[in-house]
Amino acid sequence: MSMTRQAFLAAAFGAVLAFPVLPAAAQSGGPILIGATVPITGPLSLTGKQYYNSLKMAEEDINAAGGISGRKISIAFEDTQASNSTAVNAFVKLAQETKPAFFFLSSYSTQNLAVSPEVAKVGVPAVYAGGADVVSAAGNPWMFRIRPADSVAARAMVLCAQTVLKVSKPGIIYIQNDFGQGGANVAVKQFEAAGIKPVGVEAYGQNDKDFSAQMLSLRSKGADVILLFNYPQDGAMLLRQAKMLGLKMPVITSSAALVPAAMQLLTPADLDNVWGVVDAFIDPSVGPRMKDFMTRYKAKFGVDADPYGLAYYDAALLVAEGMRKAGLEPKALRDWIAVTKDWPGIGHTFSYDAHGNGIFDLAIVKAKPGTKTLQLVQHVSVK
Amino acid sequence: MSDLIQLFVNGLALGSVYALAAIGFVIVYSATGVVNFASGQFVMFGTFAGVSMLLDAGLPWAVGYLAVFVVMAVFGAGFFACLYLPLRKSPVATMIIGTVAIGILMQNVALLAFGSWPFRLPSPLDGLSVHMFGAVISAHALMVVAVTALLVGLLWFLLHRTPVGIGMRAVAQDMRAARLMGLEVNRLLALSWILAALLAGLAGLLLGPMWFADVNMGDPIALKAFAASIIGGFGSLPGAIAGGIFVGLTEVLGASYISSAYKDLIAFGIMILFLLVRPQGLFGERIQDRG
Amino acid sequence: MATRRSPLLLAAAILAVGLALSVVLSEYNLRLLNLSVITAIAVIGFNFAFGLAGLISLGHAAFVGMSAYTVAILTTATGWSPWAAIPMAVAGTVLFSALIGYPLLRLKGHYLALATLGLNVSFFIITANWLSLTGGTNGIPGIPQLRLHGYFISGERYFLRFGLVFLAAVAAAALAFQRSRHGRAMIAARDDEIAAAMSGIDVTRVRVAAFALSAACAAVAGALFAEHVRFIAPEDFGYVHSITYLAMLIVGGEGSVVGAILGAVLLTFLPEWLRFLGNAYLAFFAAMMLAILIFLPRGLVSLFRRRAPRRIAEGRS
Repeated sequence: MSMTRQAFLAAAFGAVLAFPVLPAAAQSGGPILIGATVPITGPLSLTGKQYYNSLKMAEEDINAAGGISGRKISIAFEDTQASNSTAVNAFVKLAQETKPAFFFLSSYSTQNLAVSPEVAKVGVPAVYAGGADVVSAAGNPWMFRIRPADSVAARAMVLCAQTVLKVSKPGIIYIQNDFGQGGANVAVKQFEAAGIKPVGVEAYGQNDKDFSAQMLSLRSKGADVILLFNYPQDGAMLLRQAKMLGLKMPVITSSAALVPAAMQLLTPADLDNVWGVVDAFIDPSVGPRMKDFMTRYKAKFGVDADPYGLAYYDAALLVAEGMRKAGLEPKALRDWIAVTKDWPGIGHTFSYDAHGNGIFDLAIVKAKPGTKTLQLVQHVSVK
Repeated sequence: MSDLIQLFVNGLALGSVYALAAIGFVIVYSATGVVNFASGQFVMFGTFAGVSMLLDAGLPWAVGYLAVFVVMAVFGAGFFACLYLPLRKSPVATMIIGTVAIGILMQNVALLAFGSWPFRLPSPLDGLSVHMFGAVISAHALMVVAVTALLVGLLWFLLHRTPVGIGMRAVAQDMRAARLMGLEVNRLLALSWILAALLAGLAGLLLGPMWFADVNMGDPIALKAFAASIIGGFGSLPGAIAGGIFVGLTEVLGASYISSAYKDLIAFGIMILFLLVRPQGLFGERIQDRG
Repeated sequence: MATRRSPLLLAAAILAVGLALSVVLSEYNLRLLNLSVITAIAVIGFNFAFGLAGLISLGHAAFVGMSAYTVAILTTATGWSPWAAIPMAVAGTVLFSALIGYPLLRLKGHYLALATLGLNVSFFIITANWLSLTGGTNGIPGIPQLRLHGYFISGERYFLRFGLVFLAAVAAAALAFQRSRHGRAMIAARDDEIAAAMSGIDVTRVRVAAFALSAACAAVAGALFAEHVRFIAPEDFGYVHSITYLAMLIVGGEGSVVGAILGAVLLTFLPEWLRFLGNAYLAFFAAMMLAILIFLPRGLVSLFRRRAPRRIAEGRS
C-alpha cells in the first residue's frame, strides 16, 4: 500500500467530511420553499417517480399561474428509498436546511408513521398518501391524507363484491405489507359484518412470482369472487396467472394493478372479468380538467398519469390555494386545510374530517371487452 | 388431483429459474471461491441487456440473443478485471462486501439507465401454452425447464471433457498447483467469470418473459439462489439444480398445504436445517470451511 | 494499534468528541449522529463475532430487532417502564443467541454467513406475519419515551448525550475485553482452531461467548433504536442491515473498536452527504465503498495508524 494512495484517500475523505452544510434558505423573499420526501431509488421508486413528475408539473403550473401572491414556489425533493429510517433522515434534512413552508410525504404508511413524530415536532403542515388507518388514528394534527384510507378502499371493494357482483363466497389474496395486511383485515371484518364469511384468505410476498397455490386454494374452497390487494407489478402478474390457470370467477383488484405501469404488462384478455376499485378514474370523459392534465402529463413525461400521481398534483393545487388564502404561517395554513370541505380537485373532491382524512370515494372500473380501455362502472362513496 | 399436478408443474417452472440463477452463482463459487452477493444483479443485467436489445433496439430474436451474450461476456470480463483481480487476495468477508457494493452500484446504474418502470421481455413462445393432465403450463416455462436440463449436460461436458473445463476445475481445486502445472490461471479465472455472466444473461432472458423485469428484481432472486445452492450443496452443479427445484416446489406446495404467509419461512427453515444436519447439502463438497 | 490504549481514554474521547458535537451540530446532523452512535454499538458487538472470533454472521440485525421488538412490545402492550424493558430485552436476546449459537456455530465461513442470513430472513417473515404480537408490517408505533429524574429524554440533542454514555461504556468494555485473556482466546480460536484447542481453549464455548457478546451489544443498540425512533417495523431489521453492519466493520477496520465506530459513522453519514448528487447518489456511495475496499484493505483505521500512530483516531470523526 503506497503512501500516495493513502494520502489521496485521506484528502478525499477530508474533502467529504468538510463538505459544507448548506446554509438554511430564507423563507422570506425568493421563492416559497416546499419539501417533498418521496422514494426516488429502490423498490418503491416506480410510484415515487410519478409523485416526482406530478409535483414538478404542479410546481410549473402554479408558478405559471402567478405563483402565490406573486411569489414563485420551489419544491425541494429528497429520497426516502424503501426505508423508514431514510425517510426520517430526508424529512429532518429538509426541515433543518430548507425549512419548507409545507411538506409532501411519501405514500408508504410505515414511512409516514416513522416521520409522524418529526412532523409534529417541526409543526409544519404536511400531506401524505399512505393508506394505513393507523397513520390517521395517531391523531397528528399536522398530517393530511390525500388518498382514500386503506379501510375506505377495502370497504369499497367489499361493496363492489356485494352490490355489483352480488357474490357470497369471497376469497381474498393480499400482499404481505402494511397495505395488503390492513386491507385484507378490513375486508374480512366488513364481509363478516354483512354475514358473509370469506372462504379463504391467502398471502403472498412482495417479490413472489408464482401465485398458483393461493389461487387454486381459493378455487378449491369454492370462492365465487377473488379480492386482490396488490402493488403494481405483482398485481399485473396475479391477473395474468389467474387467466393462465383458467380461473372463471370474477376478480376485484385494488387500484395498483390498473395503473399504467402495470397495465402495459397486460393483454386485453388478462383484464377479462376483472373489476378494478381504483382511487380515481383517469379518463378524458371525466371532464376537461382531467383531459388537460392527462394530455399534458403524457406529453411531458412520456408515460400515462396514474391516480397516485394525480393525488399529489391535486394536493399541490389545494395547498397553493391554501397559501393564497391563509398565508404561509404554519398554523393558519394547517387550520385552512383542516376545515376544507368540497374542494374540487381533478381526481376527487377533498373534504377533511377531524383525523385528517379527506378522500372517501373510489371508482369501480372495468375494461371495455377486448381492449385495455377502462370504463367507469360506478362511483362508490364510503363515509 | 389436477390442482396438485398444476402446483407441481408451477413449482418446477419456478424452481428451474432459481436453479438457473444458482448455477451462475455456483460456477463462480467453485472456480474462484467468491460468494457472489451480486449474483442476482447479474441476472437483472441479463434481463435488461435483453430489454435493450429486443425491446429498445428491436433486434430479431437470434441477433438480439447473441447481442445479449456478447454484452454479458464483456461484462463478465470487466467484472473480473475491475473487481475480482484487485480484491482476490482479500479475506472472504471483504470479498462478500465487495460484491454487495458492486450489486448496489449495478442496481443504481440500471435505475439511472432504465428508470423504475417495469418491462415485459418478449419470448419467441409468447401466448402458447400446453395442457396436460388437467394442468396448464406456458410453453415458455416448459422451455425454461428444458433449457435448464440441457444446460446442466453442456456444463458437465465443458467441465469434465474439455481441456478448458478441466483446467478451470484444476484452478478451483488448487490455484498454486495449477499455476505450477503451467496453466494460465488468470485466463481460466476470467473464463469462469465470463461463464457466470453468460449464464446470468441466459437466466435473465428466460425469466424476463415469465416475471416482469425491473431494476430491483436482483436481490430476491439471489436470496432464493442462495437457499437453493445450500440445499443442493455448495459448489455442486447437480446440487444447484436439485436445490433450485426443491426451493421452487417447497414455495408453491408449502403455500398451498401449509401456509401462504409463512411459506418462505419453510424454505429458509429447511435451508438452516440442512446447514446444521447436512452442510454439504444433497450433492455438495465435504470440506466445510473452504473459501 | 488502538487496542493498546487505555479503554478509559477511549471512553473519555468518545464522550468529549460526542458532547462537543452535541453542542454545535444542527438537528439533522444530530439525528444522523444518533443513528451512528446506535449503529456503532451494534458494530462494536459485531466485532466480537467477526473481528475477534472470525464468525461471519449475517444475522446481526435480527438480534437488534429482537431486542427492539421486546422493548416495544413490553412497553406498549404490557405497559412496562422502558427502564425495566431494556434489561429484559438484552437478557432475552443474549439467551436466545446462546441457544441458537450452540448448534449454529459448528458452521464456519460462508456456511455460517448464509445460515445466519437465513435466520435474519426468517426473523423478518415472523415479525411481518405475527400480527397479534408484532403488529405485522405496520410495526409498533408510540413506544414510550425514557424518563430520567422525571424528565423525558427527548430531542436529538439529549438523546445523543444519553446514547453516548452507552457507546462509551460499550466501547471501553469491548476494548478491555479485547486485551484480556478471553479476548486473546477468541483470536486464537479464530487463527488456529486446533492449536487453540491444544492449549486448553474450549473453542466451541469461546465461539458461543463471542456470539452472545455480539448479541448483547446488538440488543443494547436495538433497545436504543426503539427508544430513539419510537416506531419500529420489520423493515428496520431486514437482512440488508446485517450486511451493512459487516460492511461498516470492514470499511472501518476489522478487529478494531475504533474501526467499528469509524465505519458506522462513515457509512451512516456518507449516503446523506452524497444526496446532492440526486438520483446517482447511491451509485456513488457504492463506488466509494469499493474504492475503500480496494485501496484501504485494512479499513479506515489504517489511515490514521500509519500517519499518526500515537493519536486517538476518534478525534477525527
